[in-house]
Amino acid sequence: MRRTAVWDLPVRVTHWLLVVLIPFSWWSATHDQLPWHRRSGYTILGLLVFRLIWGFLGSPTARFSQFLRGPRGVVAYLRGKVAPIMGHNPLGGWSVVAMLAVLAGQVALGLFSVDEDSVEAGPLSKFLSFDASRAVAHLHAKLFWILVGLIGLHIAAIGVYALRRRNLLGPMISGAAPVAEGAEAMPVAPAWRVFPAAAIAGAVAWFVAHGLKI
Amino acid sequence: MSRSKVFGPLLVCAVVLLAGGSVAAGLTGGEAAKARIDHMKGQGAAMKAIGEQLKSGAPDLALVKAQAAKLEVSSKELTSWFPAGSGQGVYAKSKALPVIWTDHARFLEKAAALRTAAAKLNADAQAGNAGAIGADLKATGAACKGCHESFEAKDKT
Repeated sequence: MRRTAVWDLPVRVTHWLLVVLIPFSWWSATHDQLPWHRRSGYTILGLLVFRLIWGFLGSPTARFSQFLRGPRGVVAYLRGKVAPIMGHNPLGGWSVVAMLAVLAGQVALGLFSVDEDSVEAGPLSKFLSFDASRAVAHLHAKLFWILVGLIGLHIAAIGVYALRRRNLLGPMISGAAPVAEGAEAMPVAPAWRVFPAAAIAGAVAWFVAHGLKI
Repeated sequence: MSRSKVFGPLLVCAVVLLAGGSVAAGLTGGEAAKARIDHMKGQGAAMKAIGEQLKSGAPDLALVKAQAAKLEVSSKELTSWFPAGSGQGVYAKSKALPVIWTDHARFLEKAAALRTAAAKLNADAQAGNAGAIGADLKATGAACKGCHESFEAKDKT
């Protein structure tokens, strides 16, 4: 079978950085490494902003407009009434959005959190009382397990496809997947677009990390 | 001598001992625990307020002085917030571990460390010694944490 590009490099780099940083964030929080926890969170914030922008500027499989389908599209897919899809299928697309949304919520809660000794404080905790920041910190600890649940489903889905002899892991590493003869190749987004997207993402993360002050 | 004749006085002794601590503060164990949590929150709020001033780039020294003074006073009262019989189990929200009372000497040692740190923080704040306040605040936070690590139940979340 012919192989063609399915995930562009920015999508893959964003994905694998999250794979590293989410467990690292958990580890640093549970091992008293809050300065590292904060840095990890700011980096994740930057990655989320980048991914959001890339969802409009990126290659077709990166774009929200390409992979987000209404309920009918999801049902049709589940009934197997859809032609093979390059990139996220209608159900997988929503799973990606759910993971990104919970991760964004998790970052937001972290920014407003403070530890019980007020030694470690998120850069936006100054906008809340000590009590409210503590309540947010408890939510931050709880929402993590929802994120873990969604990631668990994501990994389980990859396992199910593997049992059905469809390799989803390889393409997320190499970027290429086998396609049927005659299928059109995906037009990969020009590399220069990474620069404005990364610049905006970096600036937003920096601004938030500094407590919304320049 | 029947068992109940021994047990009765023992029970009275135990009740008196337990109540003794609480009576000293004029509160029941549950009330003491609830009041303690509020006091602790007050200390957390003071720590947070000072930390925010230091990070702001243009600290409001009057605010730092007031909060540092509050911390020094409350650090001196802290051991009185822990009457016997006010720990975990007496009040649902309390995370005060029994070891506070079974290893009371170590608890008092940690409380003394907080008093020392909070006193230095307040002295530097009142003297307007802005350069030292940051390190003092860190030391005070470390003292809070040092005690919590040993004597407070971990959050389950």
